[in-house]
Amino acid sequence: MDTIYDQVKEFLDKGETVAVATIVSTKGSTPREVGAKMVVTAWGEILGTIGGGCGEADVRREAIEVIRTRKPRTVRVDLLDDISSDSPAVCGGIMNVFIDPWWKEKEG
Amino acid sequence: MDSLAEELIQIKREGAAAVLATVTGADENGGVEPGQKCLVRDGKIRAGSIRDWALLQAILKEAEARLKEERSKLVPFDIPGTQGKAEVFFEVLPSPPKLIVVGAGHIAVPLVKMAKILDYHVTVLDDRLQFANRERFPDADEILVGDMAETLKGISITPWTYIVLITRGHKYDEPCLREIIHGPAKYIGMIGSRRRIKACFQRFRDEEKIAEEVIQRVHAPIGLDIRTETPEEIALSILAETIKVRRGGAAQSLSGKQ
Repeated sequence: MDTIYDQVKEFLDKGETVAVATIVSTKGSTPREVGAKMVVTAWGEILGTIGGGCGEADVRREAIEVIRTRKPRTVRVDLLDDISSDSPAVCGGIMNVFIDPWWKEKEG
Repeated sequence: MDSLAEELIQIKREGAAAVLATVTGADENGGVEPGQKCLVRDGKIRAGSIRDWALLQAILKEAEARLKEERSKLVPFDIPGTQGKAEVFFEVLPSPPKLIVVGAGHIAVPLVKMAKILDYHVTVLDDRLQFANRERFPDADEILVGDMAETLKGISITPWTYIVLITRGHKYDEPCLREIIHGPAKYIGMIGSRRRIKACFQRFRDEEKIAEEVIQRVHAPIGLDIRTETPEEIALSILAETIKVRRGGAAQSLSGKQ
């Protein structure tokens, strides 16, 4: 079974920088668990999921910025906003997502 | 970074367990930066960019605890010898859990099917070729035919191994249990009526002088209390109990264990 790191390696081998977004902590009800990951490419393509919906769109936007600056950051995703929404992505919790740039020459 | 990705892919391929620690936050006093990493495997640092020796020691220790719990977690650290603080995310890359099904009878068939859905590496063992074969267990990773207790001796059992004893009788379950009861398996479950299990445990105490806390590791009667009736339902309750043990759930076991 391929892991997310197989996909990361493919991009690194092509000389691209990608962002790996990981849920590092949660509070309340969230769509996915701590440790869930997605990879975002420089063009905003997403591989894997951290739960979909608005939260994922925010993370994607930040990830493109992380790839550009090559500086990691933590993004707080608040799913409390619109509890009345019918969207399945609205869970009522908060999650912190660490977005980390990976590129070939970067050390470990 | 390529080497780290390669190392992670290799770990997955080998089915090994590891922990990837990543600094996600740090103040200026600690000498570490967000994004710095350290890969821990077999209690050793295999790759990474964290150089602070004291912090690495603290990470090694925490990685061991994370692996044991099989749970990824964000952990705050005071960086030893400085005023600095850091937050480190420990990503657990667990070894895939291994399920050993001893006894290839009518419960084993649905059990193995469901276990593959749950991503267990599954070994089926019986002493009868007409039961332990590819036709009955097309999904099993490994099918072994031979004396069950003898064969168990040769199987590598780790803290990621789950063992289900569902042979055709206590005459077979007991010697198997004797073989594995002192080993490191994460889960041992044995089928049987309360009366027979009680008698078996009494023999273990009296004749074999097996300590009470060792006997208490065994989940018997096996499974969660969901009033099962069919073999399929029993298989489900057994697998649910293995997940309860793995994840630390609170459902009621038939053995009365928490």
